[in-house]
Amino acid sequence: MSDLHPSVLDAYEPPLGVYDEMLGSDRVPRRHWESVLGSLSAMAPFELARRRAQTARLLADDGVTYHRYRTATAVGELGLEEVATLDSADRSRPTGDTAWRLDPVPVVLASDEWRTVEEGLIQRAELLDLVLTDLYGDRQLLHRRLLPPELVFGHPGYLRACHGMRLPGPHQLFTTAVDLARDGGGSWHVLADRTQAPSGAGYALENRTVVSRVFPSLYRDAQVHRLAPFFRALRSSLQEVAPPGTNDPRIVVLTPGPHSETAFEHAFVASYLGYPLVQGGDLSVRDGRVWMRTLERMERVDVILRRVDAAYSDPLELRPDSELGVPGLVEACRQGAVSVVNTLGSGVLENPALLAFLPRLAEALLGQELRLPSVPTWWCGEEAGRKHVLAHLDTLVLKPVARAVGASAMLGSTLSAAERDDLRCRVEADPAAWVGQEELTLASAPVLAEDGLAPRRMVLRTFLVSRRGSYAAMAGGLTRVAPEPGTAFIANQAGAWSKDTWILTSEPEAATGFWLQEGPQPLAAPRPDASISSRAGENLFWLARYAERVEDAVRLLRVVHDRRNEFQHASNPAGTACLTTLYQALTHITTTYPGFVGGEIEHPTHELASLVFDHGRAGTVAFSARRLLNAARAVRDQLSIDTWSVLAALERDLDDGTARGDDRTAVIVPTLTAVLQRLLALSGLEAESLVRDAGWRFQDAGRRIERAIHLASLLRVTLTLERDQATDSLLLESVLTAAESIITYRRRYRSKARLTTVLDLLLLDESNPRSLVYQLQRLSEDVANFPPSADGRMDSVARGVLGTTTLVRLADTATLATTSDDGTRPELEAFLWKVVEQLMATAGAIERTHFTPPKPQRRLA
Amino acid sequence: MTGTRYTVTHRTEYGYEDVVTASYGLAYLLPRDVTGRQQARASVVVTPSPSDLREHHDIYGNRVLYFSVLSEHTTLVVTATSTIVVEPRSLPLDGPPWETARDLLRSSSDPDTIDAGEFVLDSPKVASSPALADYAAPSFPVGRPVVAGAVDLMHRIQREFEYLPGATSISTTLDEVLEERRGVCQDFAHLFVGCLRSMGLAARYVSGYLETLPPPGQAKLQGADASHAWGSVHVPGNGWVDLDPTNGLLVDDRYVITAWGRDYSDVAPLKGVIFTESAKSTLDVAVDVIRS
Repeated sequence: MSDLHPSVLDAYEPPLGVYDEMLGSDRVPRRHWESVLGSLSAMAPFELARRRAQTARLLADDGVTYHRYRTATAVGELGLEEVATLDSADRSRPTGDTAWRLDPVPVVLASDEWRTVEEGLIQRAELLDLVLTDLYGDRQLLHRRLLPPELVFGHPGYLRACHGMRLPGPHQLFTTAVDLARDGGGSWHVLADRTQAPSGAGYALENRTVVSRVFPSLYRDAQVHRLAPFFRALRSSLQEVAPPGTNDPRIVVLTPGPHSETAFEHAFVASYLGYPLVQGGDLSVRDGRVWMRTLERMERVDVILRRVDAAYSDPLELRPDSELGVPGLVEACRQGAVSVVNTLGSGVLENPALLAFLPRLAEALLGQELRLPSVPTWWCGEEAGRKHVLAHLDTLVLKPVARAVGASAMLGSTLSAAERDDLRCRVEADPAAWVGQEELTLASAPVLAEDGLAPRRMVLRTFLVSRRGSYAAMAGGLTRVAPEPGTAFIANQAGAWSKDTWILTSEPEAATGFWLQEGPQPLAAPRPDASISSRAGENLFWLARYAERVEDAVRLLRVVHDRRNEFQHASNPAGTACLTTLYQALTHITTTYPGFVGGEIEHPTHELASLVFDHGRAGTVAFSARRLLNAARAVRDQLSIDTWSVLAALERDLDDGTARGDDRTAVIVPTLTAVLQRLLALSGLEAESLVRDAGWRFQDAGRRIERAIHLASLLRVTLTLERDQATDSLLLESVLTAAESIITYRRRYRSKARLTTVLDLLLLDESNPRSLVYQLQRLSEDVANFPPSADGRMDSVARGVLGTTTLVRLADTATLATTSDDGTRPELEAFLWKVVEQLMATAGAIERTHFTPPKPQRRLA
Repeated sequence: MTGTRYTVTHRTEYGYEDVVTASYGLAYLLPRDVTGRQQARASVVVTPSPSDLREHHDIYGNRVLYFSVLSEHTTLVVTATSTIVVEPRSLPLDGPPWETARDLLRSSSDPDTIDAGEFVLDSPKVASSPALADYAAPSFPVGRPVVAGAVDLMHRIQREFEYLPGATSISTTLDEVLEERRGVCQDFAHLFVGCLRSMGLAARYVSGYLETLPPPGQAKLQGADASHAWGSVHVPGNGWVDLDPTNGLLVDDRYVITAWGRDYSDVAPLKGVIFTESAKSTLDVAVDVIRS
């Protein structure tokens, strides 16, 4: 390693007494880093900066998010953050900072070392499984005084309702994540066990995908263990954990919803494994079994991969205030009719006090020593532990035994004397609620900083899943590093960065895709239908409606803007009249009253900018775009990566403009242009990349309904009043432009715009994909392909569409264009009103017939 | 059996102003068997006809009924009918000093005593507090046998607290009960249990029924009875001793036990989740305890 690019390591100074992953104590790179470091060194600084930027862009394009919350009282499902609740009531507002942070330099571990760690992890999982089995079974561990009852019964993760429940197969603990850290000497210790509903495996996979794109040759040459085998094991084990006798089990991923901290991962994992992503409201219990409401029917569910905290997963038997769960789920588990993993109640193993007892338990249950030690831990519920902790408050980390709102870990060394006294009082008041842990000198690993590599302190989360009587560990994991050089406090909620983790193979490993199955294939033929929940169907319907709404508003805004440039300073009465009508049309169409309808507006551009950027104002482009994004997030497992990169760009376009504050009027036009491009890309994906299944039918129906309503409304607010010929002509041209039909019109009629021919083209021309009749034709096709609804109300939707189609087909444009003496066009007005009214009724009927959400959940009282 | 035979009918009716599309319920209405004390036969009828109705035993061995009604309804009626034979039994009033009882919870190797350790801990509705310990302390002078202490505590609660229906609700805290000095049987049971736990003793909450007799010469009114609640203290080596602080009585063969747990929340007679737009509901409970 003599030819290192000097700049890469120049600034790399691991703190003294800290084990560094990359450099030995002699500052010589460790052998297993040579290949990576060599490649990095060969890159010029600007090249490294480019890779760093590329990383951020790829993550943004993939829509990789992680929700951070404003205060410490909130969610910490992922991590070292000390608090975990998914209760929406407890959760403070999201900060809006949702970018997932990834440093592209991987952490490299040698295969020998990993083998030892892996053995320790597997032993630990087996031990925790025995503990879990016992605690929900005959509780020998308590009767033999190997565990104090208080440690179990006093922990909120212990769910009495789950006593006696058994998961099929050899293990009660299905999956677990283990947070590891090195001490100053480089030995690995367990910091914490994550057994509730461990998260991070999906992020690790996403990190790998991004890093292998950012450093393709580096990744190819380095011989790194793949992550796919872990997910294959997960998939196989999910199938095997199904209730006995189930062939080809239906497996779903249960998420608290798109606002949860790790919502991205829920959707990502669901879509990677090919399972529907569902929320509590999508499931119900009937005849002792769990069913999913799909667009077509109720479908039996056999296995639930749970990402909702256990206590929230059944309001009947667990937390009654939860609206994230499924009433009756515990009973269905009790009956063995469904397998929920991680097992309800497995959160009891997250109690850090357990760490103090594991060596004893390993001895008693396995007859073995613990291979992978835990960080030294003392439980204050025992006198000896309490004395030790109180005597060493200044050096230990104090942690509450239960992750709960308002409770967080404290580093004794950072506390003032007064704070320490306060802590002492809290511990003495309720000693069993606290543990003290030694503060490890966390290892450092290199991150890509402005001026080359820089050391940051790190922890590593590893993942295991029950497999063939033992456990399979992911060959890799999710490394997280501190955001700043000086700190050793690593929490995603506090801005930690993540890193890919490379376990080098001792010999080249054949690249295997996820779908290469090991073992026998399931006997049953794979299900042809990929049914989606009716909630997902509803979100697809709205996704398309909002996309179309944004597109229509953008087109109209562009026309208005162009007319304004043309006429604002000209003394052209027709131009001024046209502009006034268009302004008002804009307000009517976006329903942003009073707007231009409320009287003269001094600075029309400010109002126009508001109509583009003000996301808090209903009807604006930004508002509808947010709704569009929300609907997309709720069904993100259904959407392709390409769709995400389009949506991410859409969000960026609008945010960039908003960020300019008062200056945003200057970017109205470029923003509109950019946004329109995103929407065109989106409708292109819709048209060319989606299978014509029920979900697509609802999506298309949403788009057609929205476009038809918009068109009819636009015509109504611009053309139902006769003005002078010049104004009318300008208006007709503007309307044709907004309706994306101007070129066709000119080519076809080669004349000045006339009302009847405009109506012919926009209302009745079946070959014009922007015409009203075209939308209705498409809508009829969609409706004809809707799944039949259970109660036969389907007819009302089809009848509605048929009625509107007939109304439009029978329309005679000459009659519609008739102008009364007072200059109004009552026929046209009445016709367009009727069309809009009927389409709204159809939209409502579709919702009622196909998406009926459950009624509000209440307590029996 | 030779004991006293009771027939208990416990009918609960919910009425809603709007349609309920689904009701899921959990009922602790089936009296459990208690070895050497009582044997019960019981059944529950749910109307409208439930799509699920299944019984299981909870972690404490109580009988629990899970049911769901998935047809639209505006009225839900749950009626439990039980026949219970209660044996006369003398309560084990002796036992170790209360300090020994307390310490054995941590040191004993007897599985029953170890299991009782759970009932010293705070539970959702009953948490130990210095105020409760202060109130309990006079009943537990040094060396007094644990049962004698608990009996004294029971009598003090009965004397010093006013039984006043409506004075408290499900959400009333123990501190408020202690402050106001009034409540109903559930409050006194919680108070009793909380006091014992604050002394480091294991105590649990018991739900059940107490036979009531009409004033002399009058006929007993239908539906006039109610479900009842009291407390129980653990005596290492001797098991659990039930005491009724509402009436200041040892729990004898006038009482029928339904279920026990850490507090009311573990054994509420009926709880559930419903799906409806209806914001208002009516509740009607009628209990009859008939000696037969």
